[in-house]
Amino acid sequence: MMQVRTRRLVQALGGPLAAIVLTLALGFVLVAAITDQPIEAYRELLFANFDSLGNFALFLNRATPLTLIALGVIFSFRAGIFNVGGEGQLYAGAISATVVGVYLSGLTPFLLLPLSILAGVIAGGILGWIPGVLKVRLAVDEVVTTLMLNIITLLATSYLANGVIRDRSSYGAVSRMVPQSIWLPSIPWVPQATSGFIVAVLLAVATWVVLFRTEWGAELRAAGTNLRFAQAVGVPAARRIIASMWIAGGLAGLAGALYVLGIGHRFEQNFSPAYGLVGLTCALLARIHPIGALATALFYAMMLNGAAYMQIETDVPRSLVNLLTGLLVLFMTARLRAAPREA
Amino acid sequence: MADPEILLKLEGIAKNFGEKQALARVDLEIRRGEVHVICGENGAGKSTLMNILAGIHAPDAGTITLDGRIVAIPDPVAASRLGIGMVHQHFALVPSMTVAENLFLGRQLLRFGIFCDRGAMIARTRELIEQYNFRLDPEAAVRTLSVGQRQRVEILKALAFDASILILDEPTAVLTPPEVDELIEVIDGLRRRGRTILFITHKLREVKAVSDRVTIIRQGRSIATHRTSDVSEADMARDMVGRDVFLAGRKRGVARHFGEPVLRLSGVVMNNAAGKRLLDDICFEVLAGEVLGIAGVDGNGQTELSEAIAGLMPIQAGTISLDGRDVTAVGVGDRQQAGLGFIPEDRLDRGLSTVMSVAENVAATNYRRSGLLKGGFVSQERLQRFAGARIAEFDVRGAKPETPAGWLSGGNMQKLVIAREMERDPRLLLVCQPTRGLDIGAAEFVHSRILAAADRGRAVLLVSSELSEIFALSDRIGVMYSGRLMRILDRAEASEENVGQLMNGGGQEAA
Amino acid sequence: MTALQLTQLLQSVLAQSTPILLSALAAMITLRANILNVAVEGMMLVAAFTAIAVGGLTGSVWLALACAVVAAIVMSQLLALLTLRFGADFIVAGLGINLLASGGTLFMLEYFYNTPGGLRPIAFPDIWHIPAGALSFVPILGPAFEGQSLIVLLGLLAIPACHVFLYRTPTGANLRAAGEEEHAARAAGIRVGRMKALSVGISGLLSGLAGAQLAMDRLHFFLPDMTSGRGFVGLAATLFGAGEPWLTAGASLLFGFFGALGDRLQAFNLPSEFVLMLPYLAAILGLTFARWRIHLLSRPARVAEEAA
Repeated sequence: MMQVRTRRLVQALGGPLAAIVLTLALGFVLVAAITDQPIEAYRELLFANFDSLGNFALFLNRATPLTLIALGVIFSFRAGIFNVGGEGQLYAGAISATVVGVYLSGLTPFLLLPLSILAGVIAGGILGWIPGVLKVRLAVDEVVTTLMLNIITLLATSYLANGVIRDRSSYGAVSRMVPQSIWLPSIPWVPQATSGFIVAVLLAVATWVVLFRTEWGAELRAAGTNLRFAQAVGVPAARRIIASMWIAGGLAGLAGALYVLGIGHRFEQNFSPAYGLVGLTCALLARIHPIGALATALFYAMMLNGAAYMQIETDVPRSLVNLLTGLLVLFMTARLRAAPREA
Repeated sequence: MADPEILLKLEGIAKNFGEKQALARVDLEIRRGEVHVICGENGAGKSTLMNILAGIHAPDAGTITLDGRIVAIPDPVAASRLGIGMVHQHFALVPSMTVAENLFLGRQLLRFGIFCDRGAMIARTRELIEQYNFRLDPEAAVRTLSVGQRQRVEILKALAFDASILILDEPTAVLTPPEVDELIEVIDGLRRRGRTILFITHKLREVKAVSDRVTIIRQGRSIATHRTSDVSEADMARDMVGRDVFLAGRKRGVARHFGEPVLRLSGVVMNNAAGKRLLDDICFEVLAGEVLGIAGVDGNGQTELSEAIAGLMPIQAGTISLDGRDVTAVGVGDRQQAGLGFIPEDRLDRGLSTVMSVAENVAATNYRRSGLLKGGFVSQERLQRFAGARIAEFDVRGAKPETPAGWLSGGNMQKLVIAREMERDPRLLLVCQPTRGLDIGAAEFVHSRILAAADRGRAVLLVSSELSEIFALSDRIGVMYSGRLMRILDRAEASEENVGQLMNGGGQEAA
Repeated sequence: MTALQLTQLLQSVLAQSTPILLSALAAMITLRANILNVAVEGMMLVAAFTAIAVGGLTGSVWLALACAVVAAIVMSQLLALLTLRFGADFIVAGLGINLLASGGTLFMLEYFYNTPGGLRPIAFPDIWHIPAGALSFVPILGPAFEGQSLIVLLGLLAIPACHVFLYRTPTGANLRAAGEEEHAARAAGIRVGRMKALSVGISGLLSGLAGAQLAMDRLHFFLPDMTSGRGFVGLAATLFGAGEPWLTAGASLLFGFFGALGDRLQAFNLPSEFVLMLPYLAAILGLTFARWRIHLLSRPARVAEEAA
């Protein structure tokens, strides 16, 4: 029994680990070429996140949306559908939560908070549902629809942020603040770290349980690994696949809602440093395993924040991480033999 | 001394795929200018033989002599260059391109060295069409053509580049009856123009209608070659039927009392988009405790029949009832809850998810019924125990509950599928090609389980292209041909001859 | 609208549509080879950066143009290598190329030029434009073309060039076959992998021109992420045009028109964002409609009513 388990584990981890190592190594070479303090630079990149409680809080905050989006991607991939709409769903969730929070601010926080979050989840869910239905009923390529919806959604939120819900007293395309009464509490002992992170961790565990310890999850995975088999054993495959897209969109929407309520406290047009795509990469890097995705999200959050510290301490530009992220995606996908998608 | 009359000669051809022997020994002689038919059941080795000639596989033994010279055929392009024109069952045509463009794909005629010379290609295509009297428009897009017309384009492709021998692989499988007649005319026309044609089919009428000589292939061996005019349909049918010796089988001479009909089909019709009848007015019943075997060569509607009964493909007319209840509009899952067990014909395609574990595969429809859930969640402990019990009960080798199903051998995979379905003790067991690709031991095991179910009072519908299996297990035997259920015979009145004939479209007269 | 206003509108449409047109054609060539090329955006960005960098450095507009195109082609071949040789997924690799382009150009800005805000060389050579007054004998259209850069002309020429390539050359026919029915292409002896790599290379060429046009014509500077989704508008245009050159060109000019219109609509209080959404909505609707038709056509035939 152990033999099979360890063999599968090694197979699963080998590729992603190699990609990470290769990228970090290449990055180190690059850094060494740029600065005469490469070791310090890398130390800042990787470990400055743990230097202080404040840094640590920011690190956890960064990991929250990444984890949630990655979990959403995992649901859809496990059902055999390639959802790249995380960014749009994230934005839809963020703006919906903001609008509810700002415009219904008269309500008691006991009602307002869940309503805000629900608005975010539903907004994201709908953006997941549309491509799902089109794919299942009409075989419309979900990559195209989710990509297009991303851009449409970002344009829509830009419109809202620049006009309707704009806070005239502030600079830039930002909305008014949501009422403080519904700001998410911070994690005990770690001020500034949003409890949204706890939610993300719990949902990661919940995702694992649902996928691997429920009949519903087994049916979903059956549809994703062999659709014709799933049909033959009576799995309502279409329903499962569409449900997975609801969930995928909903989780990304939740990420947006939790960001607004827990971190930014209002909607900002460019608040996301490509969380959608990076979250997707985290999921793929973790071989679409929920707990693994939590780990890769933490890794990425570490890198993303670390880049800023690196720039402060040494003269290495923070955009190195952007460059490395691109390389990592490429290396990782090149090694990914059994991708869950056919061209 | 080479006989100038003989264009193509195969001697001692053998081919194995791993452990499976596809061709044991094939000897074949094709004379110049004749229409020669290769006749045999599925699994007899016809496709493998054709693929060797087309350059897709290389033979493990034997020689191929073309025009007196020994040749090797390493790939399809080489085959084409040697003058072997292959017309596959699945057409290699680009739908949006015209007939002319498809003909010249990869070898376009050029003007000024860089542009396609459309005029020249169209003209040359028209020449060829008229030469063979094919009635095609060179400028028509392939997607606008009917299946029969597309086939003629494929044939034209093979002829266009001076094929000395034209090979047609089951050409009538996809044609409607009037199109079949047209094709027979085309072949006749080609023969009159001196072309040599090798034709693969299992349909006796076609053999008689168009060939000069026929070679029967059975279980990887060439059995006999006859002049078509010398041999009857019955003779050919007898030669074609394989004979594995199955030791276990339905005990004969035991008086059986069958119960009520568990499955009833009435007037079932299934069409494809082009209007071809895949299932043509099917009516039959399966009684509790009996094994009804549906014989027939692959591709005559068996897949459609089983998928219609399982609920995977919709029907356009007729009703299907299970235990008296009309399930025509009922989904797959509900049919299974109502007592249907389905063992699909292709375990890799429909039967299992090779990525998921053995345990998850065998539990797939059984979570609730077998109490694998605890508090709404799947209990790993119960799942492992359940899977372990099934593995032991069905002697699935090389499997532990967490082994990925894809790591098992074919026979053990099949046992897994059967274990899953039998666990529910279904009232109707629909079993398709249950021993395909299995060794004798595994096959015997599977048969014993099927018979045990029937002995317990369950209804079994066995769909198989393996005639010996049908004969060993069935109480009654039905034959599918071209989407129609030809006749249902009692086992006692069925013989290899009459069933073989029915399978190949002949012998409609009452026994 | 006066003739002058119409001319000005056309002028602006032509100039603005060209990057979209070229991106659309780039996406189209790969689409015909059955590849959804999401990396057009990234290749365009890299070309834009290279054009400004080289132009500012050498003062030669031709060198800048050449290097921009080469840079885009190099990116395209990286994509081809990863996907065709190393089996990477086209979508993920394409998105990765975009990330690499975005991050890489930003990195270059920060490291080599120390100007994360953008690259504005003090002196930048001008690309060749149609001289003023040269075409004034053609009413309305003539003046609209005056002052357009060389690349705009190349873009318009690219439309019939793509048509001729795809439908009149053997390579083009083989490419279409490889994309539409791989099995038939292989049976005909066509090297499918080569065709796909070629299509990716051509799309690199066209994206390179698009990027060069974006940065070099009038603007003379590079901003991070200045492509702002034009690559995706191009992709939307080709999806809407079902991969056919003239339809694709029409769609991209239409989308470019809406883009130009978007700015002017501000004056009428119509949100420009909604106009900008149109290409993407059109693509989704177009695809859905196409699939719906196929769905209708492939339904099993009804059983004919028997005479009583």
